[in-house]
Amino acid sequence: MLTVNTWFAAAWLSRAAWLGRWRLAVGCRAGAVLCLVCLLVSGAAGWGQAAKDTVAKSAGAAVTCATCHAGVVAHYAHAPMRHAMEMGGANPVLDKHPNLTAQVGGYSYSVQTKDGKSTYSVTNGTDTLTLPIQWMFGTHSQTWVLEQDGHLYESYVTYFARGEQLGITPGDQRITPHNLTEAMGRKLPIWETQECFKCHASGAVDGAKLTLDTLRPGLDCERCHVGAQQHMVDAEHDNFKTLPKSLKKMDAENVSNLCGSCHRTWDTVMRNHWQGPAFVRFQPYRLEHSRCFIGNDPRISCLACHDPHQGVDHNDAVYDAKCLACHGAGKVTVVALPAGSVTPKICPVSKDKCVSCHMPKVELPGGQAVFTDHFIRVVKAGEAYPD
Amino acid sequence: MFFAPISENIIEGASNSRHNRAELRSRLGSAWSCVRLLVLACVGVGLLALENASLAQQGAASFEDLAGRAAAARDGGNLPLAIDLYGQAEQVKPDWAEGWFYLGMLQYSANAYPAAIDAFNHLLALQPGVPPGMALRGLCEFETGAYDDALRDLEQAVAKGAANEPRNEQILRFHLAELLTRNSRFQDALAQYQFFAAKNILDEDVLVGLGLAGMRVPLLTKDVPAGDREMYKAAGAAGYALLAENTQEADGLFAQLFTRYPTTPNLHFFYGFLLFPHTPELAIEQFKSEVAISPGNLEAHAMLAFTLMIASRYAEAEPEAELVLAKAPDMEMVQLALGRSLAEIGDVKRGTELLNQVLQADPDNLEAHLGMASIYSRTGRREDAYREHMVCRSLAK
Repeated sequence: MLTVNTWFAAAWLSRAAWLGRWRLAVGCRAGAVLCLVCLLVSGAAGWGQAAKDTVAKSAGAAVTCATCHAGVVAHYAHAPMRHAMEMGGANPVLDKHPNLTAQVGGYSYSVQTKDGKSTYSVTNGTDTLTLPIQWMFGTHSQTWVLEQDGHLYESYVTYFARGEQLGITPGDQRITPHNLTEAMGRKLPIWETQECFKCHASGAVDGAKLTLDTLRPGLDCERCHVGAQQHMVDAEHDNFKTLPKSLKKMDAENVSNLCGSCHRTWDTVMRNHWQGPAFVRFQPYRLEHSRCFIGNDPRISCLACHDPHQGVDHNDAVYDAKCLACHGAGKVTVVALPAGSVTPKICPVSKDKCVSCHMPKVELPGGQAVFTDHFIRVVKAGEAYPD
Repeated sequence: MFFAPISENIIEGASNSRHNRAELRSRLGSAWSCVRLLVLACVGVGLLALENASLAQQGAASFEDLAGRAAAARDGGNLPLAIDLYGQAEQVKPDWAEGWFYLGMLQYSANAYPAAIDAFNHLLALQPGVPPGMALRGLCEFETGAYDDALRDLEQAVAKGAANEPRNEQILRFHLAELLTRNSRFQDALAQYQFFAAKNILDEDVLVGLGLAGMRVPLLTKDVPAGDREMYKAAGAAGYALLAENTQEADGLFAQLFTRYPTTPNLHFFYGFLLFPHTPELAIEQFKSEVAISPGNLEAHAMLAFTLMIASRYAEAEPEAELVLAKAPDMEMVQLALGRSLAEIGDVKRGTELLNQVLQADPDNLEAHLGMASIYSRTGRREDAYREHMVCRSLAK
């Protein structure tokens, strides 16, 4: 592929050559555009017919996203977002750890799982409060939402995958329980309840109302692909014009905001004046801290590195190509740099496992979990966590 | 009534059937402790030195005698005599700041508010801006109906730390909240009422006052028509529950209010305003209900536009903001809402103009800088975007 720099050089070899090149380019482009249009039309027609055929074949059976998008749905079935919440009776984490206990302050905690049912108990030695675990938030580490007397509570202790043990739920370290109910969990305000269920489940919020009776655990396609449900309905009637908005065409800023609606945006963190390593877990915010983040460059979008339909790849080397798309010598090929921009620097130390140095791991306060800091930077030895 | 003036309670035997004697004594004790605290806090060693230096120059024996007898009368609870003796001492030595403070305090206790204001004027001339003097003068001005002066003094006093003792704090904050409401500074008033919910201090006047502030009615609680008091109290109770983080209870109480007073202005606004810092999405529902009830309520439209912008619902925010800006072109909140929304939906030029307009008047406006950062980022102006990000990070700290 012709790089930006060589294109400029070639274009200015001579005016005649440039004009000739321009005419040739226009001619070629016109031809290419014509071919492309033909291909698209035929392709689209072909794809549309195939889709219609697929939907038609499924007549009698319920049409789902998988009717046409079987591959991606199959992958997504195992993705963390699909399992952002589990219901009681379907929880591999607790099935694997059927007897969890912890002592926090003057209270003893016990999470017992038997025959697919889990209970959460807290005792002060005299009285004991035991509640069924109905809603389990998280795929690796796990916090539970409990119900008592019509109120919802966030469990005071969380299961942390890192040490395979219970510990105080992140953010609750500041709370000193004064009674058994407070030791059991933090009473959730209505807005927090909505946010929890909105980001970990589907169909749980209808406008301003929490609708737990229609809740489906995990995030379904509609959560990101707004209009997917309507698209399915329309597809059954041979209407393929109401497609959900393509996320692939969104710029980095919009993708950050979409992902940040749950993982928290830059704006949200700034507005709330959140500071400190506890907020390293909000990746879109950290990414926007990076000097290399720019909203119109798809190479720095969340989707450039992560496919939400898949699990996160923890092999550092996998991400090298993404970094080198900008920071590889002579590889500036995707977008033209604005005038006055600095050419991306080339790492003098290494060409592989970039993230291992430039996106360090940060422990949450309490040390129970570790997150990759998405603030891409040159990390100086001994530097404090940069807000 | 919890927030009757201190002076009503300070003279034993005051004709106030609402209080029993034990409570009066308790308040008397509290007021005297307040006096001592205030003296220690503001008059201090400097004044005593001033006093001693002055004594040497002006008939020391006579002044000392008067000051000693005044203090004895004060400690003995003989307020008329104490007032008389402090007055005489000040005739001898008019730059005795401590004397003016005690004289003002005693006059305040005797409900002699104009005389108390005069004493505090002398104190504040000698010791400008001393917080307890400002606080007590503000309370006296409140009693005389000089509300603008009272607001100025109480606001400064609280800002300078006069509300440094639990009892003082309740009295000062309540009066300040009342005055802020009367002055249509409803958001500032709600911030004062937040203190009562956080400390779990429940009182009927607080609820009525909170209801007035929330429903944006610029009245003092004593001026509320009897027939409306119940509604403001109920609104205040719902707001109090939310401020105390009993959100489910608050939601139920607001729902009852909406059923009972379906067309009363600013009830939905009140709920939306309290929800806004926590959940823009729920706040939007309330602001929408408010503008449906009161289509001419510009503040509700402005809050709706701003909240839609915060919730990134730019296409919906834009027409709301345009509507308000046409009628109130200088409203900063709407300039922000429209500027950011226009920029996000494609009109970068006008969006930038509006945000810059805000920044010219308010260079440290975080929301405007967030908008500019987004514009530069989307348009690929890397260095400008980075600079705005750094400004935001600095402002957010």
